[in-house]
Amino acid sequence: MPLFNFFLVESTAKNQPIGDSMAVEDTVKEDKTQVSVSMANPNYAIYVEGITKTYSNGLVANNNVTFGVLKGEVHALLGENGAGKTTLMKILSGCLSPDTGSIFVDGKKVHIDDAMKAVKLGIGMVHQHLSLIPSFTVTENVALSIPLPGRLKLDIIREKIIAVSKNLGLEIDPDTKIEQLPVGLRQRVEIIRLLCQDVNILVLDEPTSVLTPLEVDELFRIVRGLKEKGKSVIIITHKVKEALAVSDRITIMRLGKVVRTLNASNTNERELASLVVEGFVPSTNGTKGQPGELALIVKGLNVKGNSGRLAVKGVDFLVRSGEILGIAGVAGNGQKELVEALTGLRKTESGTSIMKCCNLANRPPQFIIKKGVSYITEDKMKRGVILNLSISDNLALKCIEQEPYSKNMIVNQRKVESRAQDLIKRFDIKASDPCANVSSLSGGNIQKLMVARELSNGSILIIAEQPTAGLDVKASEAIHTKLLELRAKGVAVLLFSADLDEIVKLSDRIAVMYDGRIVGEFLSGSLDMQRLAKMMLGSTT
Amino acid sequence: MTGLTIAIAFAASCVTFACPLLLASLGETVVERGGILNLGIEGAMLIGAFSGFLGAYFTGVLWVGLLTAMIGGIASVLLFGVLVVRFNLDQVVSGLAINLLASGVALYFLRVAFPGGGYPHLNFLFQPFAVPLLSQIPVVGPIVFNQPGFFYLAIVLVPIVFYLIYRTTFGLRLRSVGEDPRIASYVGINVSRIRYTSLVLEGALVGLAGAFVTLSQFNTFDTRLTTGLGFIAVSIVILGRWNPAGALIGSLIFGSTEALSFWGTAFLTGPQASSLAQLLTILPYVTTLVALVVGGRMSKGPSALGAPYAKE
Ligand SMILES: Nc1ncnc2c1ncn2[C@@H]1O[C@H](COP(=O)(O)OP(=O)(O)O)[C@@H](O)[C@H]1O
Ligand SMILES: [Mg+2]
Repeated sequence: MPLFNFFLVESTAKNQPIGDSMAVEDTVKEDKTQVSVSMANPNYAIYVEGITKTYSNGLVANNNVTFGVLKGEVHALLGENGAGKTTLMKILSGCLSPDTGSIFVDGKKVHIDDAMKAVKLGIGMVHQHLSLIPSFTVTENVALSIPLPGRLKLDIIREKIIAVSKNLGLEIDPDTKIEQLPVGLRQRVEIIRLLCQDVNILVLDEPTSVLTPLEVDELFRIVRGLKEKGKSVIIITHKVKEALAVSDRITIMRLGKVVRTLNASNTNERELASLVVEGFVPSTNGTKGQPGELALIVKGLNVKGNSGRLAVKGVDFLVRSGEILGIAGVAGNGQKELVEALTGLRKTESGTSIMKCCNLANRPPQFIIKKGVSYITEDKMKRGVILNLSISDNLALKCIEQEPYSKNMIVNQRKVESRAQDLIKRFDIKASDPCANVSSLSGGNIQKLMVARELSNGSILIIAEQPTAGLDVKASEAIHTKLLELRAKGVAVLLFSADLDEIVKLSDRIAVMYDGRIVGEFLSGSLDMQRLAKMMLGSTT
Repeated sequence: MTGLTIAIAFAASCVTFACPLLLASLGETVVERGGILNLGIEGAMLIGAFSGFLGAYFTGVLWVGLLTAMIGGIASVLLFGVLVVRFNLDQVVSGLAINLLASGVALYFLRVAFPGGGYPHLNFLFQPFAVPLLSQIPVVGPIVFNQPGFFYLAIVLVPIVFYLIYRTTFGLRLRSVGEDPRIASYVGINVSRIRYTSLVLEGALVGLAGAFVTLSQFNTFDTRLTTGLGFIAVSIVILGRWNPAGALIGSLIFGSTEALSFWGTAFLTGPQASSLAQLLTILPYVTTLVALVVGGRMSKGPSALGAPYAKE
């Protein structure tokens, strides 16, 4: 009995309807009026109708969503954070069940109870936070999702991985551990895993958010290869450019609803942007700062990572007041350790970080905070806020020792609360009551709260690590504006971000970090994106 | 007695003392591989010892005692399992609660079963079984091949548990659940089912470990007989790096300290004897601390060990 169908099924490859794009758009228009006709359309690999999903907290994440994906097409699902894209895809892949609505696979109505069932129907999803066990090998991870009871038959799985990866030209060593692979390759493993399960519809949730530009190109190449093999690919993104670059058709979601489905060839960036955020006009790249005196001088900094090996190797840089220095780089190249050393959270082996004639290296965080360093952390839940304290207490954490918020160790609750009210308004934090626990806020609002606290205490240096992670376009804009405002006031900003667009938009200078070293520096005026992208991957040319 | 015979007798005793520790630590290895830290193993072993004793005492059949011990062990571990898997309560607190509950339950039913007070005795025991031929080997024979059947079972279980963890689909899933239950559930693994299965397995093994104490090692029941054995089994798992072979080595080390303290209490003479004996009884616990410091530092356990996990 063939347990696996090793090679991609030939017959599906014949069903490619993409040749005539106008015909496709016609079908789509038809959807809106005559749903019953089009769901039977055999060209749809999957078609969902009237999907509504309400989370247990009452939030309607999907509201009467209808859309379809054709066989052999790349379909982008575009929308800002919180639009409901992930929710919809989790429903398709069996991770969530909808309140109402129907799903049709190959024209037949189906019930997808769990992820296994979805895979049986040929639908598989690569989650945004990759779902691989880091300490397992590639083979073991693939074996996990292939139900074969009894003895582990890793040899069969290994052969299958090799066959599938050869077929698509995806190099992978089946016996490496996931933790030794860069993120781009981990994603590849996830795709291979789905192919090993003979999936026909692949859902990729924000796959580019963790990749460097070159890795994005590579991913898009893979996606096109999948399409050639007759697979349907749904790719979630909040970046208009990417949707245009990779897909045949684009469905835009906003606030839990489908706004429209368009042919990629018949639209453009401006139109899409205005559909994604109603009436949104993207701002142009930032203005230049006016660098003043030196705010921070880092020299020969060596910092060990958790493994005990050096993660930051002799890093030198300086930040002036009134400028933003962006540190670009693939996550895991020492940025985290560098930030932790600068903020006093990690021991420095050697080197100095000098601010106002005072060496901050190996000083406790409290000392560094008092010197005027603010820290927007990437790990907001663990480091940025105390979840079980109230909003106003969290906002007061760093100023509670100063007058007028406390005097003789007695807290002035009224002052603390009125400050909270003020910050909630200024930073547009959606909170009903400043006395409510922070844990009652959504992720985006917790981010805003932390940023509000860090940007409002008159610091002279701001270390910002992914300051807009998890925020939608408007909220990100607000934080960018705030950072630029502070720069204009003479504050120095050290910006770490995985989002290259963000770095380019805000920074006066960009330093590239690779393998614990600063390998290059660019002025924002003379930026060569190609070279920057290559440097991020360690290429020196 | 010559020095050699004493040494052999002592070594055999070390092996005997290692037996319940090995059974229990094998069980604990399995559940910890699935991400559950069961400190309630201490209480489960007590219940296993007690229910095994009751079963054998009232039916007069040792094998029935074996069965009731396993049932008692499984019931206690499953109760713990419901607390931590179904209700997602703190694993450490739940384990300690089970231990308190177990000693209360055991004392109560001891008095219900034997209202007269005093400690009841069994007239029969699982005797050491001399393996034909092998037990004739000089030195090694009497140490290793003249042990109760429990011991041979435990030894056979070492490769079996190893195979289960590393060479079966169940083992792969178990380890994935212990590394990251959320990811495991994403790829379609039923986390609760895997964890309950591992807990049932542990319950049976811990029950057997308890039965060994009351049906083979001693012929009576006292709540103090198993004291500390469960906690020691937990540290053996850490010292053995969550590996059955490591559990075997760890059990032999701790079995030896147990034997030493037992022999010391029994054979020391002289004016300082009682204080020295007391000192020896803390030896296993001192070793536990040392093992935790040494073993805990060099080994990294399953990533999700002890972490709460609620289904989305
Ligand atoms: N488990 C959950 N419980 C409650 N609300 C949720 C949950 N997951 C997501 N949400 C909310 O549902 C909305 C849609 O989320 P999501 O589908 O993740 O959006 P997207 O992927 O488009 O960014 C968001 O407002 C989010 O905060
Ligand atoms: Mg999402």
